[in-house]
Amino acid sequence: MNCTSAQERFSELLDGRLAEPDTAEVRAHLAACPDCQRDYASLASTLSALDRLPPAQPGPRLRAGFYAMLEEEKNSAASLRAAVERRRHAARVSLWRWILGPVAVGALAVGAFLAGTRYAPPAAPAPMDAATRQEIADLKARVDSVGQLVGYSLLQQRSTSERLQGVLATLDQKNPNQKILADLVGALALDPSVNVRLSALDALYPHADHQIVRAGVLATLPREQNPLVQVAMIDFLVAARDRDAAPEFQRLAGSATVDLAVREAAKRALAQL
Amino acid sequence: MVEPLPTAVDSVAALTDHDLMLAVRDGELDALGELFERHHGPLYGFLVKLTGHRAAAEDIAQIVFQRMLKYRHTYRDDGSFTAWMYHLARRCAADHFRKASAAPAATDPHDLSERADDAPDAGAQAATRDEHALLHTALNRLDRNDREVLLLARFQELSFAEIATILECSVGAAKVRAHRALRELRDVYLALQRETRN
Repeated sequence: MNCTSAQERFSELLDGRLAEPDTAEVRAHLAACPDCQRDYASLASTLSALDRLPPAQPGPRLRAGFYAMLEEEKNSAASLRAAVERRRHAARVSLWRWILGPVAVGALAVGAFLAGTRYAPPAAPAPMDAATRQEIADLKARVDSVGQLVGYSLLQQRSTSERLQGVLATLDQKNPNQKILADLVGALALDPSVNVRLSALDALYPHADHQIVRAGVLATLPREQNPLVQVAMIDFLVAARDRDAAPEFQRLAGSATVDLAVREAAKRALAQL
Repeated sequence: MVEPLPTAVDSVAALTDHDLMLAVRDGELDALGELFERHHGPLYGFLVKLTGHRAAAEDIAQIVFQRMLKYRHTYRDDGSFTAWMYHLARRCAADHFRKASAAPAATDPHDLSERADDAPDAGAQAATRDEHALLHTALNRLDRNDREVLLLARFQELSFAEIATILECSVGAAKVRAHRALRELRDVYLALQRETRN
Protein backbone atom coordinates (compact mmCIF):
# COMPACT_ATOMS: atom_id res chain seq x y z
CA MET A 1 0.00 0.00 0.00
CA ASN A 2 1.45 3.40 -0.93
CA CYS A 3 1.08 6.70 0.93
CA THR A 4 -1.82 7.96 -1.20
CA SER A 5 -3.93 4.84 -0.70
CA ALA A 6 -3.16 4.77 2.99
CA GLN A 7 -3.98 8.45 3.50
CA GLU A 8 -7.29 8.06 1.71
CA ARG A 9 -8.30 5.58 4.39
CA PHE A 10 -7.22 7.52 7.50
CA SER A 11 -10.57 9.15 8.07
CA GLU A 12 -12.40 5.83 7.91
CA LEU A 13 -9.81 4.17 10.12
CA LEU A 14 -10.16 6.89 12.72
CA ASP A 15 -13.94 6.41 12.70
CA GLY A 16 -13.53 2.68 13.17
CA ARG A 17 -15.32 2.13 9.88
CA LEU A 18 -12.52 0.55 7.92
CA ALA A 19 -12.84 -3.14 7.00
CA GLU A 20 -10.39 -5.58 8.55
CA PRO A 21 -8.01 -6.38 5.66
CA ASP A 22 -7.66 -2.67 4.82
CA THR A 23 -7.10 -1.81 8.47
CA ALA A 24 -4.22 -4.22 8.72
CA GLU A 25 -2.64 -2.87 5.55
CA VAL A 26 -2.95 0.74 6.62
CA ARG A 27 -1.48 0.02 10.04
CA ALA A 28 1.38 -1.86 8.42
CA HIS A 29 2.08 1.14 6.19
CA LEU A 30 1.89 3.55 9.13
CA ALA A 31 4.40 1.51 11.08
CA ALA A 32 6.92 2.06 8.31
CA CYS A 33 6.19 5.61 7.15
CA PRO A 34 7.01 8.64 9.34
CA ASP A 35 5.34 11.14 6.98
CA CYS A 36 2.06 9.25 7.12
CA GLN A 37 2.45 8.89 10.87
CA ARG A 38 2.56 12.68 11.22
CA ASP A 39 -0.39 13.10 8.90
CA TYR A 40 -2.40 10.48 10.77
CA ALA A 41 -1.51 11.90 14.19
CA SER A 42 -2.66 15.41 13.29
CA LEU A 43 -5.91 14.06 11.87
CA ALA A 44 -6.43 11.98 15.01
CA SER A 45 -5.88 14.93 17.32
CA THR A 46 -8.24 17.14 15.29
CA LEU A 47 -10.91 14.49 15.42
CA SER A 48 -10.52 13.90 19.12
CA ALA A 49 -10.74 17.67 19.71
CA LEU A 50 -13.96 17.63 17.70
CA ASP A 51 -15.32 14.79 19.79
CA ARG A 52 -14.30 16.57 22.98
CA LEU A 53 -16.41 19.62 22.18
CA PRO A 54 -18.93 19.90 24.99
CA PRO A 55 -22.39 18.93 23.75
CA ALA A 56 -24.50 22.00 23.23
CA GLN A 57 -27.62 21.99 25.39
CA PRO A 58 -30.82 23.36 23.97
CA GLY A 59 -32.87 25.80 26.02
CA PRO A 60 -36.18 24.82 27.63
CA ARG A 61 -38.01 26.27 24.64
CA LEU A 62 -37.33 23.20 22.51
CA ARG A 63 -38.89 20.68 24.88
CA ALA A 64 -41.83 22.92 25.71
CA GLY A 65 -42.46 23.60 22.04
CA PHE A 66 -42.24 19.93 21.16
CA TYR A 67 -44.73 18.72 23.76
CA ALA A 68 -47.11 21.53 22.94
CA MET A 69 -47.00 20.55 19.29
CA LEU A 70 -47.51 16.89 20.19
CA GLU A 71 -50.55 17.73 22.30
CA GLU A 72 -52.02 19.74 19.47
CA GLU A 73 -51.59 16.89 17.04
CA LYS A 74 -53.09 14.42 19.49
CA ASN A 75 -56.11 16.63 19.81
CA SER A 76 -56.61 16.94 16.13
CA ALA A 77 -59.50 15.18 14.46
CA ALA A 78 -57.46 12.47 12.84
CA SER A 79 -55.95 11.45 16.16
CA LEU A 80 -59.38 11.40 17.76
CA ARG A 81 -60.61 8.92 15.20
CA ALA A 82 -57.63 6.70 15.84
CA ALA A 83 -58.22 6.98 19.59
CA VAL A 84 -61.80 5.77 19.22
CA GLU A 85 -60.50 2.81 17.29
CA ARG A 86 -57.90 2.08 19.94
CA ARG A 87 -60.45 2.23 22.76
CA ARG A 88 -62.48 -0.38 21.00
CA HIS A 89 -59.53 -2.67 21.00
CA ALA A 90 -58.33 -1.59 24.44
CA ALA A 91 -61.17 -3.56 25.97
CA ARG A 92 -59.54 -6.66 24.57
CA VAL A 93 -56.03 -5.48 25.38
CA SER A 94 -57.03 -5.06 29.00
CA LEU A 95 -57.21 -8.83 29.38
CA TRP A 96 -54.37 -9.86 27.16
CA ARG A 97 -51.70 -7.28 27.94
CA TRP A 98 -48.94 -9.78 27.75
CA ILE A 99 -49.62 -10.68 24.19
CA LEU A 100 -46.95 -8.79 22.34
CA GLY A 101 -44.27 -9.38 19.88
CA PRO A 102 -44.44 -10.74 16.44
CA VAL A 103 -47.70 -12.58 16.29
CA ALA A 104 -47.23 -13.27 12.65
CA VAL A 105 -50.57 -13.98 11.12
CA GLY A 106 -51.40 -14.42 7.45
CA ALA A 107 -54.42 -13.84 5.26
CA LEU A 108 -56.73 -16.42 3.85
CA ALA A 109 -60.17 -16.18 2.35
CA VAL A 110 -62.79 -16.34 5.06
CA GLY A 111 -64.77 -18.73 2.91
CA ALA A 112 -62.00 -21.26 2.71
CA PHE A 113 -61.76 -21.43 6.46
CA LEU A 114 -65.44 -21.40 7.22
CA ALA A 115 -66.11 -24.05 4.64
CA GLY A 116 -62.93 -25.87 5.41
CA THR A 117 -61.95 -28.60 7.73
CA ARG A 118 -63.36 -28.72 11.22
CA TYR A 119 -61.42 -30.82 13.66
CA ALA A 120 -63.10 -33.59 15.58
CA PRO A 121 -64.34 -32.21 18.87
CA PRO A 122 -62.03 -33.17 21.71
CA ALA A 123 -63.07 -35.32 24.65
CA ALA A 124 -64.81 -33.55 27.53
CA PRO A 125 -62.19 -31.57 29.50
CA ALA A 126 -60.96 -32.50 32.96
CA PRO A 127 -61.96 -30.04 35.71
CA MET A 128 -59.62 -27.07 35.91
CA ASP A 129 -56.88 -27.60 38.49
CA ALA A 130 -55.88 -25.03 41.07
CA ALA A 131 -52.58 -24.23 39.37
CA THR A 132 -54.23 -23.32 36.08
CA ARG A 133 -56.92 -21.35 37.86
CA GLN A 134 -54.18 -19.39 39.59
CA GLU A 135 -52.39 -18.83 36.32
CA ILE A 136 -55.45 -17.39 34.72
CA ALA A 137 -56.10 -15.21 37.75
CA ASP A 138 -52.49 -13.98 37.65
CA LEU A 139 -52.86 -13.21 34.01
CA LYS A 140 -55.95 -11.16 34.53
CA ALA A 141 -54.39 -9.40 37.49
CA ARG A 142 -51.35 -8.48 35.47
CA VAL A 143 -53.39 -6.60 32.95
CA ASP A 144 -53.69 -2.88 33.44
CA SER A 145 -54.82 -0.56 30.77
CA VAL A 146 -53.59 1.66 28.14
CA GLY A 147 -49.80 1.61 28.29
CA GLN A 148 -49.71 -1.56 26.22
CA LEU A 149 -51.05 0.23 23.22
CA VAL A 150 -47.50 0.70 22.06
CA GLY A 151 -46.98 -3.04 22.23
CA TYR A 152 -50.37 -3.63 20.68
CA SER A 153 -49.51 -1.44 17.77
CA LEU A 154 -46.46 -3.61 17.21
CA LEU A 155 -48.95 -6.27 16.22
CA GLN A 156 -50.57 -3.92 13.79
CA GLN A 157 -47.35 -3.02 12.07
CA ARG A 158 -47.49 -6.19 10.05
CA SER A 159 -49.82 -6.32 7.09
CA THR A 160 -52.85 -8.59 7.26
CA SER A 161 -51.23 -10.97 4.80
CA GLU A 162 -48.13 -11.17 6.95
CA ARG A 163 -50.10 -11.61 10.14
CA LEU A 164 -51.84 -14.76 9.00
CA GLN A 165 -48.60 -16.57 8.28
CA GLY A 166 -48.04 -17.57 11.89
CA VAL A 167 -51.54 -18.96 12.24
CA LEU A 168 -50.95 -21.15 9.23
CA ALA A 169 -47.56 -22.15 10.56
CA THR A 170 -49.06 -23.32 13.83
CA LEU A 171 -51.31 -25.74 11.97
CA ASP A 172 -48.23 -27.81 11.25
CA GLN A 173 -47.20 -28.02 14.86
CA LYS A 174 -48.22 -31.23 16.57
CA ASN A 175 -47.39 -30.00 20.05
CA PRO A 176 -47.36 -26.24 20.09
CA ASN A 177 -45.91 -24.68 23.21
CA GLN A 178 -47.67 -22.21 25.47
CA LYS A 179 -46.24 -19.25 23.60
CA ILE A 180 -47.79 -20.30 20.29
CA LEU A 181 -51.14 -20.94 21.94
CA ALA A 182 -50.88 -17.57 23.66
CA ASP A 183 -50.07 -15.93 20.35
CA LEU A 184 -53.12 -17.53 18.75
CA VAL A 185 -55.40 -16.45 21.56
CA GLY A 186 -53.84 -13.02 21.30
CA ALA A 187 -54.61 -12.86 17.62
CA LEU A 188 -58.17 -13.90 18.38
CA ALA A 189 -58.47 -11.18 21.00
CA LEU A 190 -56.58 -8.35 19.38
CA ASP A 191 -56.33 -8.60 15.64
CA PRO A 192 -58.30 -5.93 13.82
CA SER A 193 -59.01 -8.24 10.90
CA VAL A 194 -62.02 -10.52 11.09
CA ASN A 195 -60.34 -12.98 8.74
CA VAL A 196 -57.36 -13.26 11.01
CA ARG A 197 -59.46 -13.71 14.14
CA LEU A 198 -61.48 -16.48 12.52
CA SER A 199 -58.34 -18.19 11.29
CA ALA A 200 -56.83 -18.02 14.76
CA LEU A 201 -59.93 -19.61 16.24
CA ASP A 202 -59.78 -22.37 13.69
CA ALA A 203 -56.15 -22.97 14.48
CA LEU A 204 -57.07 -23.30 18.15
CA TYR A 205 -59.61 -26.09 17.57
CA PRO A 206 -57.16 -28.99 17.92
CA HIS A 207 -55.96 -27.49 21.19
CA ALA A 208 -59.31 -26.91 22.83
CA ASP A 209 -58.30 -29.51 25.41
CA HIS A 210 -55.87 -26.93 26.87
CA GLN A 211 -57.67 -25.12 29.64
CA ILE A 212 -55.72 -21.99 28.88
CA VAL A 213 -57.13 -21.98 25.35
CA ARG A 214 -60.74 -22.44 26.43
CA ALA A 215 -60.32 -19.83 29.14
CA GLY A 216 -58.81 -17.45 26.60
CA VAL A 217 -61.63 -17.89 24.11
CA LEU A 218 -64.24 -17.54 26.83
CA ALA A 219 -62.58 -14.39 28.20
CA THR A 220 -62.50 -12.85 24.75
CA LEU A 221 -66.09 -13.66 23.84
CA PRO A 222 -67.72 -10.79 25.79
CA ARG A 223 -65.49 -8.32 23.97
CA GLU A 224 -65.98 -9.59 20.45
CA GLN A 225 -68.22 -7.35 18.39
CA ASN A 226 -68.34 -9.16 15.09
CA PRO A 227 -71.26 -11.61 14.82
CA LEU A 228 -69.34 -14.02 12.56
CA VAL A 229 -66.60 -14.35 15.11
CA GLN A 230 -69.02 -14.43 18.05
CA VAL A 231 -70.90 -17.37 16.55
CA ALA A 232 -67.67 -19.15 15.75
CA MET A 233 -66.50 -18.72 19.33
CA ILE A 234 -69.79 -20.01 20.69
CA ASP A 235 -69.47 -23.07 18.44
CA PHE A 236 -65.92 -23.58 19.67
CA LEU A 237 -66.91 -23.51 23.30
CA VAL A 238 -69.80 -25.91 22.68
CA ALA A 239 -67.53 -28.30 20.80
CA ALA A 240 -65.12 -28.09 23.71
CA ARG A 241 -68.00 -28.85 26.09
CA ASP A 242 -66.96 -25.92 28.24
CA ARG A 243 -69.65 -25.58 30.90
CA ASP A 244 -67.93 -22.46 32.26
CA ALA A 245 -69.26 -20.72 29.18
CA ALA A 246 -72.89 -21.15 30.20
CA PRO A 247 -73.24 -17.81 32.05
CA GLU A 248 -71.83 -15.94 29.05
CA PHE A 249 -74.17 -17.82 26.70
CA GLN A 250 -77.08 -16.84 28.96
CA ARG A 251 -76.02 -13.20 28.78
CA LEU A 252 -75.72 -13.26 25.00
CA ALA A 253 -79.00 -15.10 24.53
CA GLY A 254 -80.80 -12.45 26.54
CA SER A 255 -79.02 -9.34 25.28
CA ALA A 256 -80.99 -6.90 23.17
CA THR A 257 -77.87 -5.31 21.67
CA VAL A 258 -76.48 -8.55 20.33
CA ASP A 259 -77.02 -9.71 16.76
CA LEU A 260 -79.94 -12.12 16.24
CA ALA A 261 -77.73 -14.87 14.81
CA VAL A 262 -75.53 -14.65 17.86
CA ARG A 263 -78.50 -14.85 20.25
CA GLU A 264 -79.79 -17.90 18.41
CA ALA A 265 -76.37 -19.56 18.54
CA ALA A 266 -76.11 -18.84 22.27
CA LYS A 267 -79.55 -20.37 22.90
CA ARG A 268 -78.62 -23.48 20.91
CA ALA A 269 -75.36 -23.68 22.83
CA LEU A 270 -77.17 -23.62 26.17
CA ALA A 271 -79.39 -26.44 25.00
CA GLN A 272 -76.42 -28.51 23.93
CA LEU A 273 -74.27 -28.02 27.01
CA MET B 1 -45.43 -28.75 33.92
CA VAL B 2 -46.77 -25.49 32.56
CA GLU B 3 -44.30 -23.26 30.76
CA PRO B 4 -44.00 -19.72 32.11
CA LEU B 5 -46.21 -17.37 30.15
CA PRO B 6 -44.58 -14.58 28.14
CA THR B 7 -44.27 -11.33 30.05
CA ALA B 8 -45.12 -7.89 28.78
CA VAL B 9 -42.53 -5.46 27.56
CA ASP B 10 -42.49 -3.43 30.72
CA SER B 11 -41.31 -0.14 29.43
CA VAL B 12 -41.11 1.85 26.29
CA ALA B 13 -37.39 2.26 26.95
CA ALA B 14 -36.84 -1.30 25.74
CA LEU B 15 -38.21 -0.52 22.28
CA THR B 16 -35.97 0.35 19.35
CA ASP B 17 -36.17 3.71 17.57
CA HIS B 18 -37.60 1.92 14.56
CA ASP B 19 -40.35 0.23 16.58
CA LEU B 20 -41.23 3.51 18.27
CA MET B 21 -41.52 5.33 14.96
CA LEU B 22 -43.69 2.57 13.58
CA ALA B 23 -45.91 2.98 16.61
CA VAL B 24 -46.12 6.72 15.91
CA ARG B 25 -46.98 5.95 12.31
CA ASP B 26 -49.74 3.68 13.49
CA GLY B 27 -51.28 6.38 15.65
CA GLU B 28 -49.49 5.96 18.99
CA LEU B 29 -48.28 9.55 19.04
CA ASP B 30 -46.86 9.49 22.56
CA ALA B 31 -44.10 7.22 21.28
CA LEU B 32 -42.66 10.27 19.55
CA GLY B 33 -42.05 11.69 23.03
CA GLU B 34 -39.64 8.86 23.79
CA LEU B 35 -37.91 9.50 20.46
CA PHE B 36 -37.66 13.19 21.35
CA GLU B 37 -36.03 12.39 24.70
CA ARG B 38 -33.51 10.10 23.02
CA HIS B 39 -32.57 12.23 20.04
CA HIS B 40 -33.23 15.91 20.52
CA GLY B 41 -29.86 16.43 22.25
CA PRO B 42 -27.66 14.94 19.52
CA LEU B 43 -29.87 16.47 16.83
CA TYR B 44 -29.56 19.91 18.39
CA GLY B 45 -25.80 19.46 18.77
CA PHE B 46 -25.49 18.51 15.12
CA LEU B 47 -27.52 21.55 14.06
CA VAL B 48 -25.54 23.96 16.24
CA LYS B 49 -22.30 22.77 14.69
CA LEU B 50 -23.82 22.84 11.24
CA THR B 51 -25.36 26.30 11.41
CA GLY B 52 -23.08 27.91 14.03
CA HIS B 53 -26.22 29.43 15.49
CA ARG B 54 -27.96 28.20 18.67
CA ALA B 55 -31.33 29.84 18.12
CA ALA B 56 -31.49 28.64 14.53
CA ALA B 57 -30.54 25.14 15.68
CA GLU B 58 -33.42 25.16 18.15
CA ASP B 59 -35.87 26.37 15.51
CA ILE B 60 -34.71 23.78 13.03
CA ALA B 61 -34.86 20.96 15.59
CA GLN B 62 -38.44 21.98 16.37
CA ILE B 63 -39.32 21.83 12.68
CA VAL B 64 -37.67 18.43 12.27
CA PHE B 65 -39.87 16.91 14.99
CA GLN B 66 -42.90 18.67 13.55
CA ARG B 67 -42.20 17.12 10.16
CA MET B 68 -41.60 13.67 11.63
CA LEU B 69 -45.04 13.91 13.16
CA LYS B 70 -46.75 15.39 10.13
CA TYR B 71 -45.17 12.97 7.66
CA ARG B 72 -45.25 9.93 9.93
CA HIS B 73 -47.25 7.99 7.36
CA THR B 74 -44.24 8.10 5.04
CA TYR B 75 -41.99 6.25 7.48
CA ARG B 76 -41.15 2.92 5.90
CA ASP B 77 -41.26 -0.59 7.35
CA ASP B 78 -37.67 -1.02 6.21
CA GLY B 79 -36.63 2.45 7.28
CA SER B 80 -33.86 3.51 9.63
CA PHE B 81 -35.03 6.10 12.11
CA THR B 82 -31.75 7.96 12.58
CA ALA B 83 -31.11 8.14 8.84
CA TRP B 84 -34.65 9.45 8.28
CA MET B 85 -34.34 12.05 11.01
CA TYR B 86 -31.01 13.42 9.76
CA HIS B 87 -32.30 13.42 6.21
CA LEU B 88 -35.17 15.64 7.37
CA ALA B 89 -32.74 17.74 9.44
CA ARG B 90 -30.55 18.33 6.43
CA ARG B 91 -33.50 19.51 4.35
CA CYS B 92 -34.68 21.83 7.12
CA ALA B 93 -31.16 23.21 7.57
CA ALA B 94 -30.91 23.80 3.82
CA ASP B 95 -34.15 25.82 3.99
CA HIS B 96 -32.62 27.81 6.82
CA PHE B 97 -29.46 28.56 4.84
CA ARG B 98 -31.48 29.64 1.84
CA LYS B 99 -33.48 32.09 3.92
CA ALA B 100 -30.37 33.25 5.79
CA SER B 101 -28.50 34.08 2.60
CA ALA B 102 -31.52 35.99 1.33
CA ALA B 103 -31.71 38.17 4.43
CA PRO B 104 -28.77 38.36 6.86
CA ALA B 105 -29.90 37.35 10.34
CA ALA B 106 -29.37 39.58 13.37
CA THR B 107 -26.64 38.27 15.64
CA ASP B 108 -28.10 36.28 18.52
CA PRO B 109 -26.49 37.43 21.79
CA HIS B 110 -26.28 33.78 22.86
CA ASP B 111 -23.99 33.08 19.96
CA LEU B 112 -21.40 35.59 21.00
CA SER B 113 -20.33 33.37 23.86
CA GLU B 114 -19.60 30.62 21.35
CA ARG B 115 -17.48 32.80 19.13
CA ALA B 116 -13.73 32.55 18.79
CA ASP B 117 -13.27 36.29 19.26
CA ASP B 118 -13.88 36.07 23.00
CA ALA B 119 -10.83 37.41 24.81
CA PRO B 120 -9.15 34.40 26.43
CA ASP B 121 -8.66 34.37 30.21
CA ALA B 122 -5.66 32.89 31.91
CA GLY B 123 -5.54 29.29 33.06
CA ALA B 124 -6.00 25.76 31.78
CA GLN B 125 -9.75 26.13 31.70
CA ALA B 126 -9.30 29.09 29.43
CA ALA B 127 -6.94 27.09 27.25
CA THR B 128 -9.59 24.46 26.83
CA ARG B 129 -12.15 27.12 26.07
CA ASP B 130 -9.73 28.48 23.51
CA GLU B 131 -9.39 25.09 21.92
CA HIS B 132 -13.15 24.73 21.69
CA ALA B 133 -13.57 28.21 20.33
CA LEU B 134 -10.86 27.68 17.74
CA LEU B 135 -12.40 24.42 16.65
CA HIS B 136 -15.81 26.03 16.30
CA THR B 137 -14.25 28.74 14.19
CA ALA B 138 -12.44 26.16 12.09
CA LEU B 139 -15.69 24.25 11.63
CA ASN B 140 -17.51 27.37 10.56
CA ARG B 141 -14.86 28.08 7.97
CA LEU B 142 -15.46 24.79 6.21
CA ASP B 143 -17.66 24.63 3.18
CA ARG B 144 -21.13 23.75 4.47
CA ASN B 145 -21.26 20.45 2.56
CA ASP B 146 -17.94 19.40 4.04
CA ARG B 147 -19.11 20.33 7.52
CA GLU B 148 -22.27 18.33 6.99
CA VAL B 149 -20.58 15.10 6.00
CA LEU B 150 -18.00 15.43 8.76
CA LEU B 151 -20.70 15.84 11.40
CA LEU B 152 -22.84 13.01 10.05
CA ALA B 153 -19.84 10.68 10.08
CA ARG B 154 -19.50 11.35 13.83
CA PHE B 155 -22.73 9.43 14.40
CA GLN B 156 -21.61 5.87 14.78
CA GLU B 157 -25.12 4.58 14.28
CA LEU B 158 -25.19 5.98 10.75
CA SER B 159 -23.52 3.76 8.19
CA PHE B 160 -21.89 5.31 5.15
CA ALA B 161 -24.65 3.83 3.06
CA GLU B 162 -27.13 5.81 5.16
CA ILE B 163 -24.97 8.93 5.06
CA ALA B 164 -24.84 8.63 1.28
CA THR B 165 -28.65 8.42 1.17
CA ILE B 166 -28.94 11.48 3.39
CA LEU B 167 -26.51 13.42 1.20
CA GLU B 168 -28.08 12.02 -1.96
CA CYS B 169 -24.75 10.86 -3.36
CA SER B 170 -22.93 7.57 -3.82
CA VAL B 171 -21.22 5.77 -0.93
CA GLY B 172 -17.85 6.33 -2.60
CA ALA B 173 -18.51 10.05 -2.97
CA ALA B 174 -19.62 10.30 0.67
CA LYS B 175 -16.40 8.66 1.85
CA VAL B 176 -14.24 10.91 -0.30
CA ARG B 177 -16.09 13.97 0.99
CA ALA B 178 -15.68 12.86 4.60
CA HIS B 179 -11.99 12.23 4.06
CA ARG B 180 -11.53 15.62 2.42
CA ALA B 181 -13.56 17.43 5.05
CA LEU B 182 -11.48 16.05 7.90
CA ARG B 183 -8.27 17.14 6.22
CA GLU B 184 -9.70 20.58 5.58
CA LEU B 185 -10.75 20.90 9.21
CA ARG B 186 -7.32 19.79 10.36
CA ASP B 187 -5.58 22.31 8.11
CA VAL B 188 -7.78 25.23 9.16
CA TYR B 189 -7.57 24.28 12.83
CA LEU B 190 -3.77 24.04 12.80
CA ALA B 191 -3.53 27.35 10.95
CA LEU B 192 -5.72 29.03 13.56
CA GLN B 193 -3.62 27.55 16.35
CA ARG B 194 -0.48 28.96 14.72
CA GLU B 195 -2.13 32.38 14.37
CA THR B 196 -3.08 32.58 18.03
CA ARG B 197 0.41 31.56 19.12
CA ASN B 198 1.96 34.38 17.07
